[in-house]
Amino acid sequence: MKLLHKEILIARHFKNAVFKNSAIYIITLFIGALLLFAAFSGWDNYKSQNETSEKYQHESREDWLKNPDKNPHRMAHYGNFAFRKSTSLSVFEFGMEPFFGNAIFLEAHKQNTANFSEAGFSNSMLRFGEISIAMVLQVLLPLLIFFVGFNSVAYERENGTLKILLSQGINWKQFLFGKILGIASVVMLLFVPTIIVLVLIWLLLQSFSISADETIKMLLFVGFHFIYLMFFCVVAVLVSASSKTSKKALVSLIGIWLILTIILPRTTQAIGAYLYEAPSKIRFNSDIEKDILKQGDSHNPNDVHYKAIKDSLLRVYKVDSVQKLPFNYSGFIMTEGERISSNIYNKHLEDLLKIYEKQNSFSKAVSFVNPYIAMKNLSMGLSNTDYDSYIDFQQQAENYRYNMAQKMNALQIKYISNKKPGPKDKPLTIDKRHWAIIEEFHYEPKPVWEVLKSEITAVISILLWIILLFVLIKIAAKNLKAI
Amino acid sequence: MLVLLFKNFIRSKGTKIGLLFLLIIGFISLLIGRQFQKKQQNNIDEAAIYQKEHMARNAAFHKDEIGLLLYYIKFSLVNNTLPISSLAIGQRDVNPSIQSVTIRGLEAQKYDSELNNPSNLLSGNIDFSFVLLYLFPLLIIAFSYNIISEEKESGTWKIVATQSPNTFLYILKLFYIRILSLIGLLSFILLIAVFLLEIPIDKAFILFYGIAVLYILFWFAVCFFIVSLQKNSNFNAVILLTIWLFLIIILPAGINTYIINKYKVPEALELTLTQRNAYHEKWDMDKQQTLNKFYKHYPQFKHYNLPESEFSWLWYYAMQQMGDDESAIQSKELESKLEQRNNTSEWIAQFIPTLHTQIQLNEIAKSDLRNQLLFLKETNKFHEKLRLHFYPKIFDNAAVNQQKWETFKVETFHDKSETSYVKAFLPLLLFNLVLIGFGWRNFKR
Repeated sequence: MKLLHKEILIARHFKNAVFKNSAIYIITLFIGALLLFAAFSGWDNYKSQNETSEKYQHESREDWLKNPDKNPHRMAHYGNFAFRKSTSLSVFEFGMEPFFGNAIFLEAHKQNTANFSEAGFSNSMLRFGEISIAMVLQVLLPLLIFFVGFNSVAYERENGTLKILLSQGINWKQFLFGKILGIASVVMLLFVPTIIVLVLIWLLLQSFSISADETIKMLLFVGFHFIYLMFFCVVAVLVSASSKTSKKALVSLIGIWLILTIILPRTTQAIGAYLYEAPSKIRFNSDIEKDILKQGDSHNPNDVHYKAIKDSLLRVYKVDSVQKLPFNYSGFIMTEGERISSNIYNKHLEDLLKIYEKQNSFSKAVSFVNPYIAMKNLSMGLSNTDYDSYIDFQQQAENYRYNMAQKMNALQIKYISNKKPGPKDKPLTIDKRHWAIIEEFHYEPKPVWEVLKSEITAVISILLWIILLFVLIKIAAKNLKAI
Repeated sequence: MLVLLFKNFIRSKGTKIGLLFLLIIGFISLLIGRQFQKKQQNNIDEAAIYQKEHMARNAAFHKDEIGLLLYYIKFSLVNNTLPISSLAIGQRDVNPSIQSVTIRGLEAQKYDSELNNPSNLLSGNIDFSFVLLYLFPLLIIAFSYNIISEEKESGTWKIVATQSPNTFLYILKLFYIRILSLIGLLSFILLIAVFLLEIPIDKAFILFYGIAVLYILFWFAVCFFIVSLQKNSNFNAVILLTIWLFLIIILPAGINTYIINKYKVPEALELTLTQRNAYHEKWDMDKQQTLNKFYKHYPQFKHYNLPESEFSWLWYYAMQQMGDDESAIQSKELESKLEQRNNTSEWIAQFIPTLHTQIQLNEIAKSDLRNQLLFLKETNKFHEKLRLHFYPKIFDNAAVNQQKWETFKVETFHDKSETSYVKAFLPLLLFNLVLIGFGWRNFKR
């Protein structure tokens, strides 16, 4: 404790000076109110989003099971839904959620788009962003730190008190650390209560039964935000210490803030989107259609691919027409068709996602220069509202869809007679109890290790930032002049 | 005097860098706009080619059964993109500008989303409206936050005060040259835009330009007012940036969060479930009942009786029709919710100049929610027209090769709604007058 005595003294002194200014109370109060607003609207949004999605997921499940006896292929067209559910951390970090589609209709032969995103139902106001706890922590608090810290050193220099302090046996390192602690202690007055409220809401949302995975995510969320804010405290003091006047310090800090939080995030993503153009939906779909036709068209009786299948079946079962096969032939063909078309679709989707990843690569790389982007990516990852989580949701839905379609085809092969009913006969059906073999769709959010793996750039860059700042403090302590 | 002041202003390194930065990023925004424009055009071209090929191929495959053929083929409707949309892309990147629909149930197709990288959507476009809304104010603040305070702090203000007969006039001149240079820059960028993006100079463009000028003046009026308080530079910088933060980030985001939470749209999900069940349950219901409902909707098809065969296209399309008919309530509700959202945000926006500007620019550029809702309505009409055309052909099992498929080209929807000058200009004008008035009063004291 003796060791940090001087630093703490400086910090306390700085804190008292900050609170002499009445404006800080207004700002603190205001940010506090904003945090509350963010917490409540986040909560409200989360609850209604999950309640609706659970309600309809459940309803659609009941509808599925309620279907009477029918041909399984009818069921494959009746289909299922994948409704997206949010994780509890998304109360605090909305991330890309407003742009995610909330429902995918899953049916045979066809990969539908994820529809009904909040953005599709909003006007352009949405593009200004949304107020979430994460936004306050990541965008507004750094600015507050800069406003509080811009004259931490520069003002003492202007006043001449800096010389006195340094001549009284305090060295630069102690002085800088003291100031950093001082700013940090001011910001912690907002940060700590926020985190307490945050944890309480988080516990409440899960009725106090928390999983290890969620807990680790939460701890990382808090920890990384703490480091992130400390980063800005250090930058504020360093810039203030290296500026001749407090005005220069203020202008530089505002500039840094604007570049980090407003200008760079948009620009880097725009560069990515500009350089790597993604295909339109029409092109994407027509390319898939073309490839499927190349592989073989199950509608065309003379198609080479399907004719080969037919011939080999006839040979193996030693019959002369498909009607004499011991299983349902059209079910067999549909299984093959589904396999081919979804393989082709997945291949095209993979290509498309590669383009998207290239577009995103700029932003990811920029984490090394911009801690805001690193933090944003990490917190979106932890709350499962990032790009990877969305792709993951769509992939889980597609796997479910494929599985459902093929199970229905298998039922058809097994239970539906191979003899086509006449034009006036009742259609062939199977018992409705079979519908239960398809389980309900359940979306499993990415676990924390997966998240850290996909956001590894952000993690590394934050670690590098910590090291860099310590080095900078060291260099500054050596080279700074009192005048 | 004015010339000297201008030279002094433009010679400063900060000014040059600031103006150059804005010019470059303004130009980049135009390039992004041009890419958007090209992409839209490509989409339309591709849609036209695709529709032609796709129709011809399917017509060749299913030449005996027009009912089956129409199960497959898609008809496209394009939401026309104006050249000026490239300046304010708005929601056009989120919402698809082309609807491709079959004549089956529309509610299952209408809301299909565009293929998108959500990261791009989240960060937003750097279109011209972003440059105008976010970056121009920053430069205006940087140019004017220290207009008197700087001279006071460096001690030159006393010289000015004694040498100039009217210090207020001097301050006005300082503002005048700054306003002139930024409006000059704005006009220059928009002039390039006119050529680069081939924007016609019509009412829409004049409105766009007028709003942009008023918006820039608004920020000068804000600065004028803050400067009139005659505080020190640091105070001005902090307060102006805080105002910027409020108007650009906190208020719009807060209002948006409020509107989204106030007008929630669970109807959307309910609609899809209802639509699915309404259609599918008919497979297991009495056919005549379904047909009776269909006849009620379309009495003109009453003379088509249910065929005796187990399956008929008349019955099939009647079932599809029921998907739409029986989810019509939810569909209407969703539509009116979205209209409410739009109206409420437009109403609130009148009191927040940044929001007002953004919403008006997007309205002019036909890239807002209103345009999207109109497009959806038009899709309904387009779909209905196709249905009415093809239903009798299907029920009669008309010969496929007798139809003139080549006449079914991609159609285009032109949003004809106009923005009024008063609605666009008045809120900004009033804000400007009030701020200048108060600033004036402060100076006169």
